[in-house]
Amino acid sequence: MNWEGLDISILGPAFLAGLLVLSTHVPLGREVLRRGIIFLDLAVAQIAGLGVIIAHSFHWEAGGWQIQFIAMSAALLGAGFLYWCETHWAEVQEAIIGCVFVLAACAGILVLSTNPHGGEELKELLAGQILWVSYEQLIPMAVISAVVWALWFGLRGNRHPLVFYGLFAVAVTSSVQLVGVYLVFASLIIPALAVRKLHARGLLYGFIVGALGYGIGLCLSALLDLPSGATIVWVLAAAGVFVSILFLQERKVLRNL
Amino acid sequence: MRKLKNLATACLMSIALPLQAALNIFACEPEWASLAEEIGGDRVEIYSATTARQDVHKVQARPSLIAKMRRADLVICTGAELEAGWLPLLLQRASNRKVQPGQPGYFMAAEQVERLDVPKMLDRSMGDVHPGGNPHIHLDPHRMLKIAQLLAERLAEIDVPNVAVYQRRLENFQSRWQAAIARWQQQAQPLRGHSVVVHHKDWRYLLNWLGMNQVATLEPKPGLPPNASHLASLKKQMDDKGAAMILRAAYQQEKPSEWLSNETGIPVVQLPYTVGGSDRAKDLFGLFDDTLSLMLNAAEL
Repeated sequence: MNWEGLDISILGPAFLAGLLVLSTHVPLGREVLRRGIIFLDLAVAQIAGLGVIIAHSFHWEAGGWQIQFIAMSAALLGAGFLYWCETHWAEVQEAIIGCVFVLAACAGILVLSTNPHGGEELKELLAGQILWVSYEQLIPMAVISAVVWALWFGLRGNRHPLVFYGLFAVAVTSSVQLVGVYLVFASLIIPALAVRKLHARGLLYGFIVGALGYGIGLCLSALLDLPSGATIVWVLAAAGVFVSILFLQERKVLRNL
Repeated sequence: MRKLKNLATACLMSIALPLQAALNIFACEPEWASLAEEIGGDRVEIYSATTARQDVHKVQARPSLIAKMRRADLVICTGAELEAGWLPLLLQRASNRKVQPGQPGYFMAAEQVERLDVPKMLDRSMGDVHPGGNPHIHLDPHRMLKIAQLLAERLAEIDVPNVAVYQRRLENFQSRWQAAIARWQQQAQPLRGHSVVVHHKDWRYLLNWLGMNQVATLEPKPGLPPNASHLASLKKQMDDKGAAMILRAAYQQEKPSEWLSNETGIPVVQLPYTVGGSDRAKDLFGLFDDTLSLMLNAAEL
């Protein structure tokens, strides 16, 4: 046991980053599950990564707004293409999403074959290191989350599918750079999966699953001296299982009454 | 009441004393943890951020890294951009003023000595070339001697009450190390002039010291994984000219060197690379002892 890592100034920014990610990913994750396109986020994140690599081959500065612009544009284009696939080849859309994922990943390897620095950049982008996040980095993330949140719930009445694809691309591109692709996938799918049978309270309980996962996961990674991202993914899954068993019990009790 | 007070004071003292006595050292790599141990002895409390089985170019963030960095009085790393992927971020997140660049608590070993292969011009197409020159300096025992002296001076600057201890331990280390260098050089005489293939250029200083020639690298460019056309041209080169052995560090993947060894019959040696990289490399002395005996065995000399 290692108690000195259990410090709010060490774990605080990472936990806040997690809550910001959850704020957009829980509602979007429920939509992903409803549409049955689970691997959409991997494909979109990979396309954003490809955008970053290409921007690098123009020798733009890492972390600059140009890189963010290119990553966002690439992700939006990719999401737009995948929406077009939904309207034209709905029955094979999941397969196309898978192909887009490997193609983007392999295009990255090809572009990078002469540039190892870009390789580190890409790995950072996809693996993300939630612990290195600072409070200042959370400000743009908070703004983006607020905009995504406002548009998503503001347009609830008649939401065009393109709104979903567009907001999804924006949310994933910004979150993947903070926390990495594994945490983004887990934050989207696990809470949504745990509360899929709930309608009215689903969103709230999804947030609770997510917050439990990030909170307990960060503390465990401090106590056991383990990499934080991977620990959080496992605790998220455990929290998801725990909460869905609770609801199962509750339903059984209600049925027996 | 008085008894209780005394007891409380005694308890406090027993907690406070060791805390005050030990200087907290954060070492990025095991070789620097080991050197700090040699010079600092029981006056220092050392934490090594990585092990010999890890590639120090990339490190996963754990909360304990930030906690240890926060409490450190001295940070010893290789520097020269070896840890560029994570050390600056860690220093920034820990925001410990004592160990920021430029402070006495910030000690970059490779930047204390002259480095080889400092590029005259830098171009992204050259691969993962370090602009500050090759940073893998710890395998040159002469440079190590120089660094030991500078480290002792730095420790004395930070921890004035223990100056005499550091000086005594340094002198003790210097005399043992110099004797060991003489023995190693004697032992390694037969290796002189032989050619080797390496995985990554982390043996530059060892080979330079031993008078051996690096004729090829398994990586087509530093930091890039071996690819088919490069391996084919390596095989051809080895068929023509040959080499005495292929060197690989404990943290590098086995496949490329095993492949070339199978194709050409040249023996491959896995060296510890740093303290903890093999059972015998328990400290800096064991590291060099084991490295030399493994190389002599492989070359059947």
